[in-house]
Amino acid sequence: MNRYLSIFATFARACLVRDMTFRANFLLECVTSMGWMSMNLAFYLLIFTFTPEIGRDTGWTREPFFAFVATGLIINSIVQALFMPSAEELTEMVRTGGLDGVLVQPLDPQFLLSMHRIDFSSFANGLVGVGLLGWALGRMAHVPSPVAWLLYPLLILCGVAILYSLIIMLAAATILLGRNQSLYDFWFYLTNFSRYPAEIYAGPWGGPIRMLCTFVIPILLVVNVPARAISQPLTGQAWGMIAAALIAAVVALVVSRIVFQAAIMRYRSASS
Amino acid sequence: MHNSSGSESAPAPTITVANLAKDYRVYDKPEGLRASITSLFHRPSRLVEALRGVSLSVARGEFVALLGPNGAGKTTFLKLLSGIITPSRGTAHVLGYVPWERANDFRRRFALVMGQRNQLWWDLPAAESFRLHKEIYRIDTPRFERTRDELVDLLGVRKLILQPVRELSLGERMKLELVAALLHEPEVLFLDEPTIGLDVVAQHTLHTFLSHIQAERQMTVILTTHYMKDVAALCKRAVVITGGSILYDGSLEQIVDRFTTHKVVTLDLEGTPEPSQMDRFGFPYEIRGPQVKLRIDRQRIADVLPEILRSQQIRDVSVEDVPLEEIVAELFRVGADRQAAEVRP
Repeated sequence: MNRYLSIFATFARACLVRDMTFRANFLLECVTSMGWMSMNLAFYLLIFTFTPEIGRDTGWTREPFFAFVATGLIINSIVQALFMPSAEELTEMVRTGGLDGVLVQPLDPQFLLSMHRIDFSSFANGLVGVGLLGWALGRMAHVPSPVAWLLYPLLILCGVAILYSLIIMLAAATILLGRNQSLYDFWFYLTNFSRYPAEIYAGPWGGPIRMLCTFVIPILLVVNVPARAISQPLTGQAWGMIAAALIAAVVALVVSRIVFQAAIMRYRSASS
Repeated sequence: MHNSSGSESAPAPTITVANLAKDYRVYDKPEGLRASITSLFHRPSRLVEALRGVSLSVARGEFVALLGPNGAGKTTFLKLLSGIITPSRGTAHVLGYVPWERANDFRRRFALVMGQRNQLWWDLPAAESFRLHKEIYRIDTPRFERTRDELVDLLGVRKLILQPVRELSLGERMKLELVAALLHEPEVLFLDEPTIGLDVVAQHTLHTFLSHIQAERQMTVILTTHYMKDVAALCKRAVVITGGSILYDGSLEQIVDRFTTHKVVTLDLEGTPEPSQMDRFGFPYEIRGPQVKLRIDRQRIADVLPEILRSQQIRDVSVEDVPLEEIVAELFRVGADRQAAEVRP
C-alpha cells in the first residue's frame, strides 16, 4: 500500500512539474472550467427567481440545492482530476499499443492506467465547491448533525468510487474493442443524470429512469445521497439511501475490477 | 507457476518455449459505402496465425537474434514472452514463470525495450521517469544511484537526463530508454528493433554498450532486428522465423555454412577485365573498372584462387563470406515460398 502511495506521489509530482512547465495552459484550464461552472451557477440562480423549490415538498429550496451543486462539484473535481485524464488517454494507448509498456511493469495495471495522469487544474472547481457548500450551509435553517458531518466525506468517497468504477468499465470496453472514442461522450451522457436531484425523475418517463439510475447504474446515488445527508434531516428514507450508496460503491468496485481483469486478459496489443 | 526446483546436473534454461502459437481473428473492411453498411451487420473475418507452434530454449547469458521479415511473428513472440498477450496454444516459461500470468516477481526480473515505442514521460526530463522506475521496481536509493550513474556514463548521456525527452534526438532517446529499462538490473532483456532509425554512430554506441552490459551482468537477451550489423556485433545465435514458424535456429557461423555454397572474391586488377575472362573462375556479378567481384563455389576456392593469382595482374585480393543480409534475405524467400506452397490448394 505504501509503495502505491509513493508511486502515486511520484505521478502527482511529475504531473505538477509538467503543468508548471506549461503554466499558461494550466491557468487557462483553471479559468475555462471555472467560467463554465460560474455560468451553471448563474443559470441555477435564474431558476430560483421563478420558483422557491425544485419539485413540491422535496426540500430542495435554494440553499440546499446549492449544497447539492457544491457536492456535485467536489465529487466531479476529484474524478476529473484523478481519473479522467488517464481514462481519456487510454483509447490512444490501446490503439497505438502504448498499453504494452504498462503491462510489463510490476504493478497493478488498473492502478497504473487509472491514476498515472493527474489534472491539477480540475481541483479548482472542487475548491469553489467547498466555498459554495460553506455559503449554502451558512444560510440554511437546517444545521447538519455531527453524524451528518462524519457521513458526508464517506458518502463523497462512495460517489467517487461509483464514478471511478464506471470509468474502469468504460476503459475495459476500450481494451476489448480496440478503440472506443465514444468513451468520454458516454460518460458525459450518464453523469448528466447525476447532476440533478433524484426527485425530478418522476412520472411515467422519470420513474423508470430513476429506477435504472439507482439500481442498475447507480449514478443517482453519487451526488444525491451525500448532498441530502448534509443539507436535510437524516430521516428513515435517508438512512436507506445511505445504505444503498455504501452497498452500490462496494458492488461497483468489485464488478468493475472483475470486468477490467477479464478485459486485460483479452488484450490483443497493436502492431509494432 | 514458479519452478523453484533446479536441476542438479545442468542449470535450467532461462527461457523454454514449447509449441507456442498465437492466432488472431481479423475483420476485413470491404470497400464502398454499401459494403460498409452491410459490414455493420455482418463482418467477414479470417483467422491469422501469427505464430505457429514455436519451440526453443535459451540458456542464461545467451544473446539471441530473432530474425524475420515484417509480419513474421517476431514481435508477437516477444509480446508472449513478456506476458503482454496470451497464447492460443502452447507453453512458455521465462525464469520459471508463465509470462502471461503476469506475476509481479516475474515482471521485476525482465525488461522490454521497443524501438518504435516511447516509454519515457514525453514532456519531462528522463530523470523523472528514472525516479518513477525506482519506485515501481522498489530499487533502494544507493543501488539506484550507482546503477543510473554507471549506465548514463557508459552511454555518455549524463547531460541529457535533465532535458525534456521531447527535445531529444531519436538516438539520444533510445539511449535513455535503455538506461530506464536496465535500472532494475533485469536478468532477461527483450529488445525489439532497438536500433531502428538510428545513425551509424548511435548504432555503434548501442552495440558497444549492449555487448558490455550483457557480458558483465550475464543477461539473457533476445533481440529482434532488421540490421545484420546488430546481429554480427552482438549475437552468436540466430533464430530465423518466417510465417510464424522457425526456419533456422543455430549459430551465426552455421547459417553461413548451411545456407551458402559460395564465397565472394574481390579482385583489384591492373586493368579492366572482360567479363568473359572472368567466367572461368566463377560468376562475375560486379565489375567496376579494375575491381571485380566473383562468386566462387566453396568447394573450388582452393583450386581457383592459385589459378587467378597465376593468370592475372593483381594489386589486391580478398576472400569473404556472402554478406549476412543476402543469406538472411534468401532464407526469408525460402520461408515465403514454403508458406505459399502450404496455402496453395
